[in-house]
Amino acid sequence: MKLLSLLALSTLAASPAFAQETRQLDSHEHGVGQLDIAFDGSLVAMELHAPGADIVGFEYGAESDEDIAKVEDALLVLAQPLGLFVVPEAAQCSVVEVRAELESEDEHKDHEEEGHDDHGDEEHEGEDHDDHAEDVGHTEFHAEYLLECGDITALTEISFTYFTAFPDAVEVEVQVISDQGATAFEVEHDAPMLDLTSLN
Amino acid sequence: MILRLALGSLLARGLTVAMTILAIALSVMLFLGVEKVRTGAKASFADTISGTDLIVGARTGSVQLLLYSVFRIGNATSNMTWESYQDIAARDAVDWIVPISLGDSHRQFRVMGTTVAFFERYKYRSGQSLAMRDGDVMDDLFDATIGADVAETLGYSVGDPIVVAHGLASFSEHEDQPFRISGILEKTGTPVDRTVIVSLEAIEAIHVDWRSGAQIPGQATPADVIRQMDLQPQAITAALVGVKGRLQVFGLQRAINEYGEEPLLAILPGVALQELWQIVGIAETALIAVSGMVIVTALIGMMATIFSSLNERRREMAIFRAMGARPRVIFALLVLEAAVIAAIGALLGLILLYLSLYVAQPLIDSAFGLWIPIDPPSMREVLVLIAVILASAIVSMLPAIRAYRMSLADGMMVRI
Repeated sequence: MKLLSLLALSTLAASPAFAQETRQLDSHEHGVGQLDIAFDGSLVAMELHAPGADIVGFEYGAESDEDIAKVEDALLVLAQPLGLFVVPEAAQCSVVEVRAELESEDEHKDHEEEGHDDHGDEEHEGEDHDDHAEDVGHTEFHAEYLLECGDITALTEISFTYFTAFPDAVEVEVQVISDQGATAFEVEHDAPMLDLTSLN
Repeated sequence: MILRLALGSLLARGLTVAMTILAIALSVMLFLGVEKVRTGAKASFADTISGTDLIVGARTGSVQLLLYSVFRIGNATSNMTWESYQDIAARDAVDWIVPISLGDSHRQFRVMGTTVAFFERYKYRSGQSLAMRDGDVMDDLFDATIGADVAETLGYSVGDPIVVAHGLASFSEHEDQPFRISGILEKTGTPVDRTVIVSLEAIEAIHVDWRSGAQIPGQATPADVIRQMDLQPQAITAALVGVKGRLQVFGLQRAINEYGEEPLLAILPGVALQELWQIVGIAETALIAVSGMVIVTALIGMMATIFSSLNERRREMAIFRAMGARPRVIFALLVLEAAVIAAIGALLGLILLYLSLYVAQPLIDSAFGLWIPIDPPSMREVLVLIAVILASAIVSMLPAIRAYRMSLADGMMVRI
C-alpha cells in the first residue's frame, strides 16, 4: 500500500503543485495500543496496533541476539489472538487468519529510498543508516486477525489477557463496528475487560 | 389511622404545605427536565447521521470534522482536493462516496454543494432516507433543493428564484446567478432542514466571475456561457463514504489517514460523536449536580417548615399523647407527613414536566432543531422519584426526633 502511494507520488512529482516536499510524522503514545474490531455476520475482524515500547520494551531496530529473540517471541505471542483477547467459550470462536508483523520507521525510509529522491527531507540528512541502534524512529507492532464464531450473540465480552502478556501496556483504545454502528471503548490495564453487551 | 391523621394535619396547614409541595415539584421537574433535554439532545445528535461508514475531510480533529461536515457547526479548516477525492473514490473498498462542499449561504442558511447521490445515501434516524415534500431533486445546474425549515422560514415554494451569497453572513450576494427552487424536502429534524442543497458544479458556477472574494467589476458571464464551461470543482469540504464490507472500514480509514499526498482525516461518525460526549460530559455532570442541589434545597426547606411547625403543634402533640398515643406514633406521624408531601410534590413535578414538554416540544424543535420525545417515565426517572420520597422521609427524621423528645418532656412536665 505504502509503496503504491509512493509510486503514485513519484509520478505526480512532475507537476508543480506536488513539487514541494511533505513533512509528516506519525505520533503514537507509549503504553497505548489500538484495537479495531469489526463484526460482520459470524466473522470478527480485529486489527491491533501497539507501540514497540509496550510489547518488547524498546523501539530501536533489534540488533543484538537478545533483542531479536524478544521481537520473535512477541510476534509468536501476537499470532495467538485468542490467548490475548479471550472470548467466551459459548461463542465458539476459531481463528481463520492471523498476520503479525513489526512495522518500523526504518522500513518506511528504506521504501522511500527506492521510491524517489526528491522526497529527501530532514530525516535523511546526516543520518547513518548502518547504525540502527541510534535511530530514534518508532516501531509499532501490527497484527490482523480474522475470527469465525459459531454463536456471535454469545460474544458479549472480551477479556484482555493482552495486559498480562505485555505488562508494559497500559491502555488499549478500542473501536468497534457492528450492526449498531461504530463506537469506541477504552480498556485499561487495571480493568482488562471489554463489555460488548451494549451492542446486542 | 396515622395516615388519616397525617393527611388531616396537612390539610389543616394547607398553605404552608402547598408551598412546600410546590418547591419540591419544581425541583423535581427541573431535575427530570434536565435529564430529558440531555438524553433528547444526545439522541437527536446520534440520529443525524446513519449509514455512513466514514467521513473524510482535511486533517483536523475528528470532532471538528464531524461538527462542520454533518452538523454545519463551525467551519472547515481547509478543503480536500478533488484529486484526493477521486483517488479515494477509486479504491476497492469504497462502495459509494458523496462529496460535500460548504461555505456559501442563503440568508441564515448554509448552502451545500453535493451530488444527487446525497439524497440516496444520506440516512438519518436509523436508516431513514430523505423524502421530497414537494417538487423534485435538483437536476439542472441552477436548481436548488431546500430543507423544510428553509422553506418555512423564508416562505419559499417550488419554482421560486433564490440568490446564493458568498461566504457566511456576507452582504455581497451573487445576484447575477439566480437559482430556482426545484424541490422542498420533508422535515427530518436534522441540519438538512436548514440547508440549501445545490450541485457541486453550481458552487463553481457561482464563483465564475468572482476573484478573491469580490466580484470583478463589469464582468457578468451570462448563464448560458457558464453552462458551457468546465465546472469541475478544484476542492471539496468533505466526503461521506460507504464501505463495501464492514470488515474493510478500518483498513480504508487507516489508508486515508496515512495518505501521503495530502493530510486527510477519515473518521467513524459514531466514534467521533462519542468523543464529543466525553467533552460535553463534564458540563453535563455539572448540570445534573446543580439540579440535584435544587432538590436538596427543596428538601431542606421542607425540613425547616416542619421544624418551625413543631412549636405551634406542641399542643396538638400533647393532646395526642394525652389520648394515649405513644411517642413513636408522634415520630411516625411527622415522617409520614413529610413522605406524603414529597410524594405529592414528586407527582406534581412529573405532571408539570409533561405539561411543559407538551407545550415546549414544538418550540424547542423550531428554535434549536432539537426533538425531545415525550416518553413515559423511564426506570431511572421512577427511581429518582422514589429517591426523593425516601430522602424526604430521612430528612424529616430530624424534626421527628425532636418532636419525639418534646412529647416525652411535655407529657411529664407540670405546667403552671
